[in-house]
Amino acid sequence: MTKVLSISKSAEDGLRELLKSLLENGRVKGVVTLRKTGEDGVISYSLITNPDDIESTLPLFPLMPVNLAKQISRLTLIEAATEPMAVVLRPCELRAFVELVKRTQGSLENILVISSTCAGVYPLEMAVKGNIGDHLPEYWKAVEQGEPIPNIRLACQACEHFVPYTADITVSLLGNKGIDKETTLFLNTEKGEAIVEGISGKSREGELDTATIGQIRSKRKAEKEKLSDEAELKSLGIDEITKTFSRCIGCRNCSAVCPACYCHVCFFQTETSQHERAYYERELEKKGCISMLPDTIFYHLVRLFHVSMSCTACGQCADVCPANIPLWAISLKMGEAVQKAFDYLPGKDMEEGLPITTFTTEEFAGVI
Amino acid sequence: MSNTRKGASLPAEGGVEKGIIDFARQALKQGGFDAVLIPSRVPTGDSFAYFLIRHEASLEGASPLPPIMPVQGARVISSITRRGKGKNRIAAVMRPCEARAVIELTKLAQVDLEDITIITTDCPGVIPLSNYFEGAAKGDKLFEDASRNWNSGPMRPVCRICDKFSASGGQDIHIGTLGTKSGSILLIPNSSKGEDILNRLGISPEEDISGWEARVNELIDQRKKERKQNNDALRADIEGIDRLVEAFSTCINCHNCMRVCPICYCRQCHFDSDKMKFSFEDYLMRAEARGGLRIPTDTLLFHIGRMLHMSLSCVSCGMCEDACPMAIPVAQIFTLVGDRNQGAFDYVPGRSVDEPLPLTTFEEHEFQEIEQSYAAVSARQENQND
Repeated sequence: MTKVLSISKSAEDGLRELLKSLLENGRVKGVVTLRKTGEDGVISYSLITNPDDIESTLPLFPLMPVNLAKQISRLTLIEAATEPMAVVLRPCELRAFVELVKRTQGSLENILVISSTCAGVYPLEMAVKGNIGDHLPEYWKAVEQGEPIPNIRLACQACEHFVPYTADITVSLLGNKGIDKETTLFLNTEKGEAIVEGISGKSREGELDTATIGQIRSKRKAEKEKLSDEAELKSLGIDEITKTFSRCIGCRNCSAVCPACYCHVCFFQTETSQHERAYYERELEKKGCISMLPDTIFYHLVRLFHVSMSCTACGQCADVCPANIPLWAISLKMGEAVQKAFDYLPGKDMEEGLPITTFTTEEFAGVI
Repeated sequence: MSNTRKGASLPAEGGVEKGIIDFARQALKQGGFDAVLIPSRVPTGDSFAYFLIRHEASLEGASPLPPIMPVQGARVISSITRRGKGKNRIAAVMRPCEARAVIELTKLAQVDLEDITIITTDCPGVIPLSNYFEGAAKGDKLFEDASRNWNSGPMRPVCRICDKFSASGGQDIHIGTLGTKSGSILLIPNSSKGEDILNRLGISPEEDISGWEARVNELIDQRKKERKQNNDALRADIEGIDRLVEAFSTCINCHNCMRVCPICYCRQCHFDSDKMKFSFEDYLMRAEARGGLRIPTDTLLFHIGRMLHMSLSCVSCGMCEDACPMAIPVAQIFTLVGDRNQGAFDYVPGRSVDEPLPLTTFEEHEFQEIEQSYAAVSARQENQND
């Protein structure tokens, strides 16, 4: 059984209250969460140090402007957090951050991880149109009921890993019928338990409702199959791959926003990846006609090859693709296949080594 | 454009695109050039890309005026010519803004124009990528209907205010289509290289082109007005630090504007480098000092830095805005800033390869109004010391 703290306020208000008291009583020096800024009320992640600023935060707003794992990596890359911090991450962001820590691109030291059972987020496109607000009543109603939410990103509609694995504190949202009146915090770790000490609320012991979670998961699974078929990605043969990437404009934005793509200089930006004129002319001689978006599929395959072990299917790549390529589906498909082969789920367990850094004498005998 | 210029009319009964393809085919056949770089529909039919073509038969799929600009052609010319010499003489069929970017990249030593012939066409603009990728068939029709009548309505905002849609610099041969006799296109040599090629192909430019020029100039005047209006309206929205912060407040720092920009040619951008990664202490200090630190950090610094680096060479091609996932009007902002900066130096990027980049030249008597004389500065320091 896990310790549970209930605060008799709506989930978002309760979470804000927790964050505010943590800053006030000095248990953390900073909080990273979504916040409304500027005259237009743009919603961005923000590092907040003043308890009074917590009022302007929206920790549960259904938008992921950037994958926060990539940002926390940047914050803790040169040195680990020197002061205690609370960070509110979505489960996919948290998993991505754990993967980055395994790859020595950040540190969990001094970080209190707060996450939630996540219903998904709306596409960036809707933030651009500015109409997410109109959908919020429908969103929160569906969250309470544990029902699928129309218009959220396809990656989220197909997500099975909506329960955080390594959070210190989990806010129960999905299928929780009381979220407008009560904040339910699962204190999963000793750190989580210790940090809420003295914060007013009801304490009990309990578990997330596994039946509800299971139902939601099977709905998502079915949705995943359906959406994957719609993206015409039943298999990953060369025909599907060629067709999927035919619209690629070579901007590499999928790589730029990907939390798993952590190389400081991508191979495809280096001089080594650039061809000489003689190469183009040789190809031209051979083929009579060559595409001058060379190496498009090569790039995507190499990227998939590099990231698929750690891909948490966060969907950020698809969200920023100017050519509307269903990158979420291909990353998910490839990720699942690779991860299954190694019985590895990225970000599930900090102690579990990356498969390619571990050696087992008995594995893949069939392909050796 | 001087009145002495002449052109050659070529038949284009099957439409402008077919006319251009026929010319390219003829030129390949007669050895005018060895290969053609030309936008073509990708095999799956749902987008376009530049193809380098040597076989005449492959020109069938060419689309010299595609409805979108998926890649800026100047980047393609740079990829081909930046590393080593070649044996092929290549004709590149591109839009005027792409040709101007080619000229800027030549000055920045990122393009070698030897063996390259630039051919441009009067450009009706392109529609936004986001519209096109909702459905190619719908996008094709939208563009076709609009471009036929030079209706700029559905085109990208920055295309709607483009006053350099015709022979605006960089091309060896320009193809006039605006106001030409129906079923024909007008070949206009614009450099000695262009003249030589037409000569070799047995095309003699002897026709009067004043009708085309008049129509082009008329549209230039109209676009200049629209450009000014757009710039003025935008200035009211973004001038001053608070408004500028607001204008870029949705930026997710993906740097896609930089990656698709033909002028941003640095192999590694400063803003992607380790120089822009700070210690945790530093971020915390900034958050404390400012009452919160927006994440991702340093977004406005990036845009201002980029502006400083490329606004003198910005050709307003619109790639940045098209590739921005947050629909920030980057290209319009850069057009406004570019027009002002370029105006200050009386510089038009891409106009001529012989015009040096303003920052590489020194004139003793420029910008005196913003200069401080050494004498005045040292006198002030002395006063302070007293």
